[in-house]
Amino acid sequence: MHELAEFAVEKALELGASYAEARFEEKNGTSLAMKNGNPEGLEVISDRGIGVRVLVDGGMGFASTNVLTKESVAEAVKKALKLAKAAAKVRNEPIRFSDEDFHEVYYEVKMRKDFRDVSVEEKLELLKKVEEDVLEAGAQTPMRFLRYSDQIWHKIFMNSEGALVESVIPRVSMMYNLVVFENGQMEQAPFVQRAFSGGLELIEKDEPWKWAVKDVLALQRLIREGRKPPEGKVDVVISPEVAGIAVHESVGHPYEADRIFGREAAQAGESFVKPEMLGERIGSEVVTVIEDPTIPNSWGFYLYDDEGVKARPRYLIKDGIITEFLTNREYAAKLGQRSNASARAINYNREPIVRMANTYLAPGDYSFEELIEDIKLGVYMVSFNEWNIDDRRYQQRYIGREAYLIENGEIKHPVRRPILEITTKALWSSVDAVGKEIEFYPGTCGKGEPGQGVPVWMGGAPARLRGIPLRRP
Amino acid sequence: MFDVNEFILKKAKELGFGDVVVLGYEMDRRQVRFANNEITVAKNWHERKVELFVELEKRIAGTSITELSEENIKRTLKALLSTLKNMAPKEDYYGIAEGPFEYRDIPETFDKAIVELDEPNEYVETAINAALEEGAKRVAGVLYTDHNRIYLTTSNGVEAFDEGTGIEISVRAFIGDLESGHGTNSVRILKKFDPESAGRKAGEIAKMAQNPEQGPEGKFDVIFDPLAFANLLSYMSFMTSAYAAEAGFSFLVGKLGQKVANENVTIKDVGNMPNAYGTRKFDDEGVPTRETTIIENGTFKTFLLNTSLAKKYGTETTANAGLVMPHAWNILLEPGDYTKEELFSEVKKGIYITNVWYTRFQNYVAGDFSTIPRDGIFLVENGELKPIRNIRVSDNFQRILENIAALGKDIHHIHWWEVRNPVFTPYVLVKDVGITRATK
Repeated sequence: MHELAEFAVEKALELGASYAEARFEEKNGTSLAMKNGNPEGLEVISDRGIGVRVLVDGGMGFASTNVLTKESVAEAVKKALKLAKAAAKVRNEPIRFSDEDFHEVYYEVKMRKDFRDVSVEEKLELLKKVEEDVLEAGAQTPMRFLRYSDQIWHKIFMNSEGALVESVIPRVSMMYNLVVFENGQMEQAPFVQRAFSGGLELIEKDEPWKWAVKDVLALQRLIREGRKPPEGKVDVVISPEVAGIAVHESVGHPYEADRIFGREAAQAGESFVKPEMLGERIGSEVVTVIEDPTIPNSWGFYLYDDEGVKARPRYLIKDGIITEFLTNREYAAKLGQRSNASARAINYNREPIVRMANTYLAPGDYSFEELIEDIKLGVYMVSFNEWNIDDRRYQQRYIGREAYLIENGEIKHPVRRPILEITTKALWSSVDAVGKEIEFYPGTCGKGEPGQGVPVWMGGAPARLRGIPLRRP
Repeated sequence: MFDVNEFILKKAKELGFGDVVVLGYEMDRRQVRFANNEITVAKNWHERKVELFVELEKRIAGTSITELSEENIKRTLKALLSTLKNMAPKEDYYGIAEGPFEYRDIPETFDKAIVELDEPNEYVETAINAALEEGAKRVAGVLYTDHNRIYLTTSNGVEAFDEGTGIEISVRAFIGDLESGHGTNSVRILKKFDPESAGRKAGEIAKMAQNPEQGPEGKFDVIFDPLAFANLLSYMSFMTSAYAAEAGFSFLVGKLGQKVANENVTIKDVGNMPNAYGTRKFDDEGVPTRETTIIENGTFKTFLLNTSLAKKYGTETTANAGLVMPHAWNILLEPGDYTKEELFSEVKKGIYITNVWYTRFQNYVAGDFSTIPRDGIFLVENGELKPIRNIRVSDNFQRILENIAALGKDIHHIHWWEVRNPVFTPYVLVKDVGITRATK
């Protein structure tokens, strides 16, 4: 496929592109679902194709095809150029890319237990294990939807400035939706996922069945013992899982440079952050948020982005100050910077756009006991269900799924659906202490049009928020 | 592509598979994305693929094949066979539809003018200019043109072909940081395309939304613009699938035959509607698409089904296959008899929400959710509209349906990034909707 990618780039230059890139992608894998104990069938994923992106006269064109012949690729190149030329006429300012250093590089994530060598029955056993352990846990769980999925992502990226990046990344995940129904009451743990880049050994070590059992028992206890959360101003301790969704939604997204400059305005929205806000305080001194694609075996893992730029950790907030935006080459150029390798595309048929990878609240120096010991009245939010945030990433809401009352420094009974509905600045300014231990949780981040759900990790350390007017349902 | 389909079917039968469905696609799609009044990128997709579904003694598998050489097809089928032989059966699998069927042409689903359209940028400029004329400063959005061909062959005697086109635009207009509006237009034939109306609506709402004040919280009568209510109906369309209900993702679980909405509410899925974005002649098993009443005068009548799920529940398919998961084609909320003016005059003190996004659930089976208004939001007081901001709809799906107090008489076709399943809906007035806002 190297030849076909090279052919595409050369053809584009020959036809007058000032910049050209080609990205071949191949995804192979299996997916299995189980619904209420019934195997729902096997899905075999085998998909490949090539996408071509060009700049002509400052306009951008993109075309893709899954017919992998020279003729078809040449046709796609022609279309991309034609579209770019026409688009250039409806532009006020030509698109420019930042200057970058490019490499010829190959990298892959090794699997200790290669899922391609594992039979479908053995993979189905993983789902059965969740099913059996959940049923044996002693809670009534009338609806159980489970999914196993594995894929190898093979990519070859080439551009007209000398980049050649080839990568092979295996990804493996398990997901569940569990409904607990007891005493006429019902609680739910939907779309809970455990996911990694690497081999099947990572799932086996992680033991998703234990997470599932923990979830149904927590929901059962919530039904049996749950009370109303406290009213009025209280302290709230958010777990790494809740800290993860909060940094993803209210730090990662609004720091995406394409959003800051309005490119996502009609889709994933705009941002309260403006370019001149670099250096401004957004949170307390204990808040540091890092975005790092290079974490080994992470769900959002990559070493080079989809524009061929080498990845590194990015400090979005350092000690409460806005320090860096997420950029691709187009928006790095607008900011007069180098790209920090945030360009990702979910498949050959999508354009690379500014995305997160693994976003986390950096650890502080508090043990969990220290976080809660001087709280007179508060809530510990362990996991969440309903969440959303406005278009500019400022007004957000997270509702606790598993949550407990904190009274006089001790964790007490479960509380039902405490609602944290808060502005971004108030949230990060309220944090007065951050825990030592970090954890990560996988998710799929949606953005772009057509939609591109990219794998991300979210997480970090637990954090204590002081004086929050918590809401009840 | 029927030659490819037939080859796959023949080889699959030779290998001993039972039910086989071969669904071939040829797709040409073009996109123009724009923001800040200029085109950010233009794209073209050309794809050819076959979606394959096979069954072997109640063991089922699916895959898609894009490399359509005879060798690759044989290799894929053999791989599926050896994998399926060792898999546990799906005990509640009951087969696919028995064909052949007769199909009728559905008006306004194919237009050669869209296939031959050289370059759609003039429509983008029309939409941008209409929004700017209304007072917008920045305009963003996306335009698509589509040309699809579908070739269906099944082991139960179906051979069917459908060809469709479409063109649509979604436009968002901004004045300042907090003032925006949104309009869309989606059609299947070129001469009905009206990008100007989308741009104009986006611009008008942005203009009306200037200088918003912090909104209130509590229970309010809310008028949902079609764009906003389509979002809720689109989520609901997923929940009407029998598959979603079994998997624990539907508030309609266990409510067949029960009242789940106000008596004035009738919701249908119409797979064969002319000039609708989700329309197709047949479902994935080849059953001719049709109109299915899901909620009739407030009573929940049926989940959306394929043949296997229908047999499981002792009823007939609703022609909504998805072989594994049935799904809606075009959701339609029957209109009422209010003009837009009458609807607004019903509200002494309430809120008009022009758009929402980011709908998420606390509990799918209970239907508890929240969603965020985006673009213009207005307090409605004795016919006056006053712009507000920063509120959230926090309520329950069934309660929303039960509290529908009035429906507009005109229905609007909504299909955009947030409303993936096409929806037809009028303006909707809902009583006592929960409204919250950030507490800090």
